[in-house]
Amino acid sequence: MITIAVAKGRMQDEALALLARAGVCFNGYSSESRCLISRDETGDYRAIFVKPADVPVYVEHGIADCGIVGRDVLLESQPDLLLPLDLGIARCRLVVAAVSPQEIKSRGMLRVATKYPQLAADYFGARGTPVEIIRLSGSVELAPSLGLCDVIVDLVETGRTLRENGLSVLDVITESTGRFVVNRASYQLKAESIARLLNALERGLNGVGP
Amino acid sequence: MHLSRIPAGMRYYVGDEARLRRKVEDTAMSVFDRWSYEEITTPSVDYYALFEQGMGITEAQRSFRFTDQDGRLLTLRPDVTSSVARAAATLLADRARPLRLCYAAPVFRQQSQSASEWRRENTQLGCELIGAADASADLEVLLVAAEILAQLGLQNSYCITLNHVEIFNGLAEQFSLDAKEAEYVRRLIDSRAIPELTLYSSDVLKCNTFADLVHLKGNQEVMSAAHDLVSNSRSQAALLALADLWRALEAKRLTDAFEIDLGDVSSFDYYTGLSFKIFINGAGSRVGGGGRYDRLISNFGAAEPAIGFVLNLDGLTEVLLRKTNEAQISQTHIDQKGSQSL
Repeated sequence: MITIAVAKGRMQDEALALLARAGVCFNGYSSESRCLISRDETGDYRAIFVKPADVPVYVEHGIADCGIVGRDVLLESQPDLLLPLDLGIARCRLVVAAVSPQEIKSRGMLRVATKYPQLAADYFGARGTPVEIIRLSGSVELAPSLGLCDVIVDLVETGRTLRENGLSVLDVITESTGRFVVNRASYQLKAESIARLLNALERGLNGVGP
Repeated sequence: MHLSRIPAGMRYYVGDEARLRRKVEDTAMSVFDRWSYEEITTPSVDYYALFEQGMGITEAQRSFRFTDQDGRLLTLRPDVTSSVARAAATLLADRARPLRLCYAAPVFRQQSQSASEWRRENTQLGCELIGAADASADLEVLLVAAEILAQLGLQNSYCITLNHVEIFNGLAEQFSLDAKEAEYVRRLIDSRAIPELTLYSSDVLKCNTFADLVHLKGNQEVMSAAHDLVSNSRSQAALLALADLWRALEAKRLTDAFEIDLGDVSSFDYYTGLSFKIFINGAGSRVGGGGRYDRLISNFGAAEPAIGFVLNLDGLTEVLLRKTNEAQISQTHIDQKGSQSL
């Protein structure tokens, strides 16, 4: 049996739709359900639903054989996993945003609020800008207007939340999409099943039925 | 801080677990002994410079470091091979070759390699075959590893993946990759990042060749596909060596437990020929690995070929303990059912 860790939230429905197109249907599962585990009809697959940042944790420990999670999460936590497939779902950008772009340029030190402390430190470090990283867990767009920070590093899908909080994008750090990740040991020990699932997902992405 | 606390990544072994761990160690050491490997004990504390030479700077930097009275940098050994290689080139320089050495010794890392690797102290069960460059030496260490795993009752639950570093190195040379690009591509192949590999350069042939390498995984049918992919003589010679090794394993009826995986390109700055990884059902990460390292010993004396591998005793014990517990639980179920039907 193959266990798939699926990131709850943003990309969950799209991920399940892709799996269904690949012939792996978790019909018993609804996003309103409190149950965090579901088996498919064949009994060959099991899905577990966990927070995005926990997907690489379950997969790296081999509790889940593979997982579906955003590239942003992988870049932040740098897990030792295999990344054979880009699912192209939940496309978004990781950006630097601020209230007033002009003010930022003359600063000798920036306060940066973000859910991505590692990525933010790498980005500003590469540019030689000294930063104080303030780690937040949500509603990051609120921080600049309240004076907690000068800029934020955050994920943007449509840009609406930024606009409504009076922020504009200064730079795009990278793009992020849903990635299919695989545990190193499972890739060897369950080689056939994993290859079958990878092929089916790929056919689904190219618009071919299961 | 409470005195009851122990440092992160450290642990106790006691009772059944300690007994099982001892048994696993004894099993491995007795297999080494049967193959005429002589035990060697190396210093637990050694000069840091040794490991910088021996394992490369990135790996060596993960170790615990401290200074000696004269200010020289010392370390708690992060591996055993470096020290064995030094002993072979110095202390044992006059001994007849090939040298067969083995050990069971703890190694330490202050900084672990990945989040799932919690332990900072691991005991390595390992062997080194020094002074033999021929294919039979490659086969020998694989047979030793397979015999240990079989003796531990893991016959049908392990997988050893094989690769030869010159296949990738030959391709890197063919496409004139400089050191930086080669390392970038190697990392992408190592994480099987096909989407990035297919787009990393405007040279479509180059991108597709490296992306195809990731798919070359399986038994000997991989060989013919690989022959079609690589046109340079360096890679082809490596493929031939791998094909010969595969046939030798076939003759021993071992190929069910082995797999060729040309996408496994980790530790390639260290190895010079065959490289292999050992996986066991039930372990979320690999429990061992090894390969040929013909350049290492020249750091300490005359150059000579060498090959070896290590098994992680703590990783093995964990899997075996879980298997024993599962077996006991299902036995209890059978016993209960049995008593009910009576």
